[in-house]
Amino acid sequence: MSMHRRVLTLVSLALASVSAVPALAQGPVVLPIADAKARVAVEREIARAAARGLPVQPLIAKAMEGVTKQATGERIQVAVASQAKRLEQARTLLAPSTSVAELTSGADALAIGVPGAMLKQIRAAWPVERSVAMPIDVLTELVARGIPARHALERITVLMARGATPSQIASLGSSVQADVAAGLAPDAALEVRARGVMSLLPSPAAAAASAPSGQRRP
Amino acid sequence: MSEGPDLLIERVRSTLREAPGTVPDPRRVAQLLSAVWESPTPSALRRWLDAWRVPSVSGVRATVLAGLALFAGFLTRGVVGERQAPEPFTATGSQTGEFPVQFASATLSETAPVLTQFVLDDTKAQRVSLVGDFNDWAGDSTPLTRLESGVWTVSVPLPPGRHVYAFLVDDTLLVTDPRAPKSGDADYGREGSVVMVFAR
Repeated sequence: MSMHRRVLTLVSLALASVSAVPALAQGPVVLPIADAKARVAVEREIARAAARGLPVQPLIAKAMEGVTKQATGERIQVAVASQAKRLEQARTLLAPSTSVAELTSGADALAIGVPGAMLKQIRAAWPVERSVAMPIDVLTELVARGIPARHALERITVLMARGATPSQIASLGSSVQADVAAGLAPDAALEVRARGVMSLLPSPAAAAASAPSGQRRP
Repeated sequence: MSEGPDLLIERVRSTLREAPGTVPDPRRVAQLLSAVWESPTPSALRRWLDAWRVPSVSGVRATVLAGLALFAGFLTRGVVGERQAPEPFTATGSQTGEFPVQFASATLSETAPVLTQFVLDDTKAQRVSLVGDFNDWAGDSTPLTRLESGVWTVSVPLPPGRHVYAFLVDDTLLVTDPRAPKSGDADYGREGSVVMVFAR
């Protein structure tokens, strides 16, 4: 059997296993929360989220984060309920996107204070088949560095419209992160780095000419 | 393993791209790749792959096998109650420099996991683990290895994106990475460290 076929076989089975994980995760979850009452409440919260079609993995991660941070059972319960609420909001705002990565990124953005309307704007900036997890992550990071959300959103959506790749957008977040750590003012860092990424992109006219007709803007 | 991890990931990735209508969770794929990548004995994967060298197993049969595996997964729904701990990562690197370090050689596309190195200087620690949103904050899943210099290090493949993490020292003390930006925590009030992972 050729190497290609062997790899295909391996990947087919691997994908089947990966696909089966959500099914397992939808079952009863036993979490290592010492407070039995809180544990039952958290498990019920996760079960309710699963029944609403929300991904349970981010909720399990949130509960485990609380365990590792030695939070009280009551606090873990509140945190998981909040995360479920944010995931549901993100699902509405990012519709029709339903990937776990996008919903988790959306929930994290909401947790840090990014207005929900901005998630909608990011979703609208790219075709629905293209994940917006990275642009949302970068928006979250820029806001976390102290940049006003409106300003950060504007720069990110311009880059998205100009055809920047997720990596190029991510490099903006990473560079601003490093600049701020080095002592640069967050706004100034964003301006400089956004121009830097912009200089790597084709001109608006060239981008419009090369884009599929369905993506061209008037 | 006889072929490098880059080559293996490239093949897996190219095949993933060919699989129609499949959108796996990148975090799960990262964990899967990590498990394969960090196989304790390099030759084991080769032996395992060789076991599949059966001419009669065609792509169609592989698909049937995959379907059976899926069916088995759904059958166990609701039966398996214990949450499976993530596969442990194993320390691999010993490089130093800017932290966390992302290895350009391991970046293959916009969505492929990127090998990222984490380092902590703590000569007094007996045990250090990496915890974060990529391993469900499980304290036992990603131990760091202590180098002769007393520096603790681990390299893990992470899906591109923004990740929050911390180090768990001696199973009890949660510390942030002194070399990385901090992130607030509205839920628990304990800040973490942030790393932006992307294909360079």
